[in-house]
Amino acid sequence: MVGNKVRKIIHIDMDAFYAAVEQRDHPEYRGRPVVVGGSPHSRGVVATCSYEARRYGIHSAMPAKKAYQLCPHAIFLPPRMARYREVSREILAIFRSYTDQVEPLSLDEAYLDVTENKRGITSATLLAREIKQQIYKQTGLTASAGVSYNKFLAKAASDYQKPNGLTVVTPEQAFQFIDELPIGKFFGVGKKTEALLLKRGIRNGADLRKRSLQELVQLLQKRGEILYQHVRGIDPRPVQANRKRKSLGKETTLAHDVYEVEEMLPILGRCVQHVSQRLYEQRLVGRRVILKVRFHDFKLITRSVTLEQPVQSAEKIMKALELLLERIDFSNKGVRLLGVSVTDLQTKEIHRDSSESPRYVQLELFDSFF
Amino acid sequence: MKFRILRPALADGVAQVSKAVSQKTTIPILTGIKIKVDDEGIELTGSNSDITIQVRIPRFVEDQEQVSVDQPGEIVLPGRVFSEIIRKLPDDEVEFTVNGRWITKIRSGQAQFQLNGLDASEYPRLPLLEEDQVFSLPSDLLQSMIMQTHFATSASETRGVLRGVLWQLEKGKLRFVATDSHRLSRREAEVESPEELVLNNVIVPGKSMSELAKLLSDYKGLVDVIVTENQILIRVEHLLFFSRLLNGTYPDTDRVIPRGGKTEIITSTRTLLESVDRASLISRDDRDNVIKCIVNGDNRLEITSAAQDIGRATEEVTAEVSGETMEISFNAHYMMEALRAIDSEQIRILMTGTMTPFLIQPVGDESVLHLIVPVRTN
Repeated sequence: MVGNKVRKIIHIDMDAFYAAVEQRDHPEYRGRPVVVGGSPHSRGVVATCSYEARRYGIHSAMPAKKAYQLCPHAIFLPPRMARYREVSREILAIFRSYTDQVEPLSLDEAYLDVTENKRGITSATLLAREIKQQIYKQTGLTASAGVSYNKFLAKAASDYQKPNGLTVVTPEQAFQFIDELPIGKFFGVGKKTEALLLKRGIRNGADLRKRSLQELVQLLQKRGEILYQHVRGIDPRPVQANRKRKSLGKETTLAHDVYEVEEMLPILGRCVQHVSQRLYEQRLVGRRVILKVRFHDFKLITRSVTLEQPVQSAEKIMKALELLLERIDFSNKGVRLLGVSVTDLQTKEIHRDSSESPRYVQLELFDSFF
Repeated sequence: MKFRILRPALADGVAQVSKAVSQKTTIPILTGIKIKVDDEGIELTGSNSDITIQVRIPRFVEDQEQVSVDQPGEIVLPGRVFSEIIRKLPDDEVEFTVNGRWITKIRSGQAQFQLNGLDASEYPRLPLLEEDQVFSLPSDLLQSMIMQTHFATSASETRGVLRGVLWQLEKGKLRFVATDSHRLSRREAEVESPEELVLNNVIVPGKSMSELAKLLSDYKGLVDVIVTENQILIRVEHLLFFSRLLNGTYPDTDRVIPRGGKTEIITSTRTLLESVDRASLISRDDRDNVIKCIVNGDNRLEITSAAQDIGRATEEVTAEVSGETMEISFNAHYMMEALRAIDSEQIRILMTGTMTPFLIQPVGDESVLHLIVPVRTN
């Protein structure tokens, strides 16, 4: 944050992103309820659904089975993450044509700090409108934008009117906007915290602002302090353009509990393929491999190993996982979720930028890895 | 259970079995040391489920009574505190009395301890090994074979069989091979073995090998070796050393060892070691610790190293050189470990190319071999 100057932050959230990409790629799906996620006959969940599907009460994170019950004639599609990433990259490029201060939160969401921007446009509202138009022109997708002077308010604003919305919260309007904001829309307030706060009679921003810092901290520790600040329109978090990814992972809830390591290997193999592909795309290597296992009783365990050399290839990640599997006692315990992630990430060095110091490659005695 | 024992004998035994005792174990009783007392003396056992060490302290050694047994029995005592107590007891004689609830009184001189023991029947049983497939070799030979190879094993837990030393036996010739895929060390020796006994994929964890080498310094006699499907037993005098074997198939290393070469160098082991050691002062901060050896054909080698932000080193080493000129870069650490493991004054280096492994052997001794894979420089 530079001095006391009021910042101009835009939060852009693509509308029903995965479903919208599917509807754009497949004209026959347009105007129909589309559910992207797990198969309705599996234990998977809904990742995104189109607005047509939302009318039936379907929402993301709902079990796909339930979605099917609500709307059996919906089009159920498995996610095509590679395709969504591709579209996401196009959209990021649009953002970057306005400012380099872009902080992607996921494939379909980003913060932009447009206080200074490449177009020299002083009105963040005009800028947001132009960005939305550009996205629509280039990708055929709609987005909702929130414009304000900090991240918390920009994000709450983008959520205010969906789809295809544009909501501006100026410093003068901030308190009024916050007063009406339902408690569940505050940063860091999930289902559990929401229930906790509702029980204490805190239904919205107005209720929240009446509570003392002490009470909130007692209730929610650090998060209580953040809420105390946010409800007063204060959020100094900067837009972090160079936020480095710390880990990359993939997990999968299994259709039915598995008991044998032999059954887990192909499932993990697919997760590893996915992780490896993404490491490759982002030119990353990682030194630490983590295996996550959730048993049928929801007990969660993780096992990790730090490797001698950072890895990217599926083969090497798999090798590490096999080792980690040996460290888990699976006796008679059904496994319902398996996941793998790679951390301690670093950019894979490319031989060309070796001008700094001589580059060495230790040669191998054997052709293949043992 | 009640017995008296000479403290030095007990202290030695406890020190030996303690090498296998770990505080980090998933089986709680293995943090303890098992003591078994019978008419012939006492038996101490320590184990971490990878390695098990058992030492017997006989009642008599050359007519001197070391152990006097009043009442035989078994007990497991907490390993760490027990071994420290034994080391620090004031008198040369120690008396043990164990009551029915595994409470153990230890008395020596004026000192008296009371330790809470555990029921020895809970302690894992040692495997019983068939003794018809035994081969033998002198203890000091086994120790030097380990010292000449085990450093080349991979320290990374992800490298499977490469974490171990391969034992092969055929027609009375025992061969150890260790490699982390960047260097390889091999040692062969004649042993006393039944003609028909053949071993070709016995892989002993590197950690077990180094613990065994330490224990062997206390012994001079012949060592018996018994191998089963998943265990190896080494027996020398009153010591039994069990190790788990690594699963998996060791790679075929014969095919990577060069038969001939382009450049042959004969030089002093010590001079080259010292020179490489000096050159690595510059290179050792880098993970690959790369130094270069330049062979120009005029009876000398040039050892150099350079690091962008530190500086460089150059040194000439006198050598007998024959064959092509060569420039080869490699990890100085690998070279130093190999040279330190060679006890001959002169070595022979056989180079096959800038990008292919080179061989180091003591002059006139084919039983020892070290192979180093070079580093490619860009």
